[in-house]
Amino acid sequence: MARSASPNRQARPRSSPRASHLDLAQRILDLARARGMGAGAHLPEQVLATACNVSRTPVRAALDLLVDQGLAEHESSSGYRLAAGFSPASTISGPLPDAAEADLARRILRDRAARRLDETVTVGELIRRYGAARSAVGKALARLAEDGLVTRAPGQSWVFAALPDAPESQADSYEFRLMLEPAALTAPGFRLDPDRAAALRRAMVAFLAEPDDRLDPRAFQTLDAAFHGLIARGAANRFVADALGQHLRLRELPGAVVRANVVRLRQAMQEHLGILDQMEAGRFDVAADLLCVHLRLSRSQRPQAANRGAPPLFGLTYRVGGDG
Amino acid sequence: MAEAPVIAFFPEASFGAALNCVGIARAAQARGARPVFICHPGFTGIFADYGFQEYHLPAVGAPPSADYWQDFIRRHLPHFNLTPIDQIETYVAPTWEAIVDTAIGAEAALAALLARLRPDVVVLDNVVMFPAIARAGCPWVRVVSCAETEIADEAVPPYCSGLARDDREGRARFLARYLRAVAPAQDRYNRFRAGAGLPALPPGEFLEPSPHLNLLLAPSILRHDRARPLDPARFAFLEGAVRREGPYDLPEFPKGEGPLVYVAFGSLGAMDVALMERMIAAFAHVPARFLVNVGAFRDAYRAVPDNVHLEGWYPQPSVVAMADLFIHHGGNNSFCEALYHGVPSLILPYCWDGHDNATRAGETGTGMRLDRARWTTGDLAAAIAALVSDQAMRARLRENARAMQASPGVDLAAERILALVPGRAKAAG
Repeated sequence: MARSASPNRQARPRSSPRASHLDLAQRILDLARARGMGAGAHLPEQVLATACNVSRTPVRAALDLLVDQGLAEHESSSGYRLAAGFSPASTISGPLPDAAEADLARRILRDRAARRLDETVTVGELIRRYGAARSAVGKALARLAEDGLVTRAPGQSWVFAALPDAPESQADSYEFRLMLEPAALTAPGFRLDPDRAAALRRAMVAFLAEPDDRLDPRAFQTLDAAFHGLIARGAANRFVADALGQHLRLRELPGAVVRANVVRLRQAMQEHLGILDQMEAGRFDVAADLLCVHLRLSRSQRPQAANRGAPPLFGLTYRVGGDG
Repeated sequence: MAEAPVIAFFPEASFGAALNCVGIARAAQARGARPVFICHPGFTGIFADYGFQEYHLPAVGAPPSADYWQDFIRRHLPHFNLTPIDQIETYVAPTWEAIVDTAIGAEAALAALLARLRPDVVVLDNVVMFPAIARAGCPWVRVVSCAETEIADEAVPPYCSGLARDDREGRARFLARYLRAVAPAQDRYNRFRAGAGLPALPPGEFLEPSPHLNLLLAPSILRHDRARPLDPARFAFLEGAVRREGPYDLPEFPKGEGPLVYVAFGSLGAMDVALMERMIAAFAHVPARFLVNVGAFRDAYRAVPDNVHLEGWYPQPSVVAMADLFIHHGGNNSFCEALYHGVPSLILPYCWDGHDNATRAGETGTGMRLDRARWTTGDLAAAIAALVSDQAMRARLRENARAMQASPGVDLAAERILALVPGRAKAAG
């Protein structure tokens, strides 16, 4: 029987694997080892998707990666199996994500967040700015497009998506999360990953133990993303999980970085722990209520401007760079 | 166990006053007090974010339209390009009218709130008196978070004049115009005071010194020699009231090494996008790295140079501490933060006491003034280069910073405030 890539693999050109696919492939290998699976064992997509709390699409990409590595095989009739050469000691040896391509994508985003790049850019402009080859720029843009951060416009132009780095888009971002995150918690079938929850609790408690002058806003942002990611991944509805996951990735971009004073960072982290308490106790409805409060406090309004001597009325806007 | 004394802070609706009070409130909290904040409508969340209870005064009148501030800026930006004396009729007098409106509008709600809160001390950081505070039945503290010029003296240049200390002729001319222009607002305010049972204030004044305690945010290095020295029992000079913030991680600059320059013009200044755009374009030609505070207007900028980084909010004291130069509008809070961290100031004043601080920076060798309406890229680059390379100034500023940090203004302020609480004078004092 012919052994080949999945139909999905045949249909679209392969770009370098994304870090998230590598991570998922690693988890699938860990799962196979933990379940004592040997060479030739069937790797059912849906079972893996459920076990890893993701949809089948990324699972398929991760399995394709294992096929590329020689650790799995694909048959069009029966799906994926562990390869004949698989052993519990097998590891992923590469290829790692194209570091240069990832770095170029990162620099493009950094410069867009800093408004060094306009909303619309051309490939030629990027080639000149970064001294990169056309192919490298193309790959970096393709990577950003895959995450929904740029879309192709007529000609050689690309348009950046709105990033949650301005007051209006941050307000929209909070509204979006207020609609979906509590609903993810209260919908039937929410699953808390207990290992991740325990690890996250340890990290959040350690963060709070730091003195004010060492309370690193970037560490906060990492933990904040992990905490809200835990909720997104636990959603039983895959579309909710995907939408929240993609939105949370937007919040990790440069320019969307958390800028709040240390007191608010501590408050927000305490709120995370309170929500986690309820989640671990299985009281997801209470956790959802606390989550609403947490998100509302994080998006609290701030005056856009006020100054000594300015008239008593002033406009309102959302905090620039809120936490949550 | 005795209840914690309630200290009601009532800063005006500006970030400078608000954050000064946050610094003092945190020091008071560390000494066992329960600070709470009375806020103007809309100034929501600032104090709660620092962990303090907020009480909001209700809004007076209709809420502002979406383009209220755009209109405000369009109306006043041309005035900010005028000399201080020419701002008297165009900006200062109308602003006093608005401040009087604020005081009148807030009175009833403030009186009701104070009656409910029953604070042990009220701390007012504003430029106008609210009669409800005088009648609250507890001691009140005036925080002078503007330049020292806010407390008039024959040997001190007039408030908002930007005059040099020895400009006697300019002083007479400025005062004559000032008193004439603000007289209608002041008359109206005095009638309001009379109705509330308070005595009239002398011409040009809207806020009397507190009979209990007055705190001036005027570091020693900036202080004037007064013709009539202030009574130390009632007037305490603070070496600033600089609060602590968390650490700031420097962003990656695609290009640029050299001195780090922090640029922030306050919330009003951030709205002057045209000036900021011009400065940012000029920064491209200066061999330094610039952190620029653009408030809520990041989307207004494009083609930002590789040695410039924009953000809407910075933990300012932490950033100033890392900077080699602070370019600001002369806000007293900003100026004090620069001095507290030994950083020279390049001041482009807009209005109010920014003019006074800009002139004082030159007089005291702590910085330099640049006219916001008349500068070239060459002027700006030369001023930056001069300030970052002036080793004598830097050494003096470093020494001064050590002295300021050794006597934190927030601690002294908290101790003096708590000494007003009945029964705590001895313990605090």
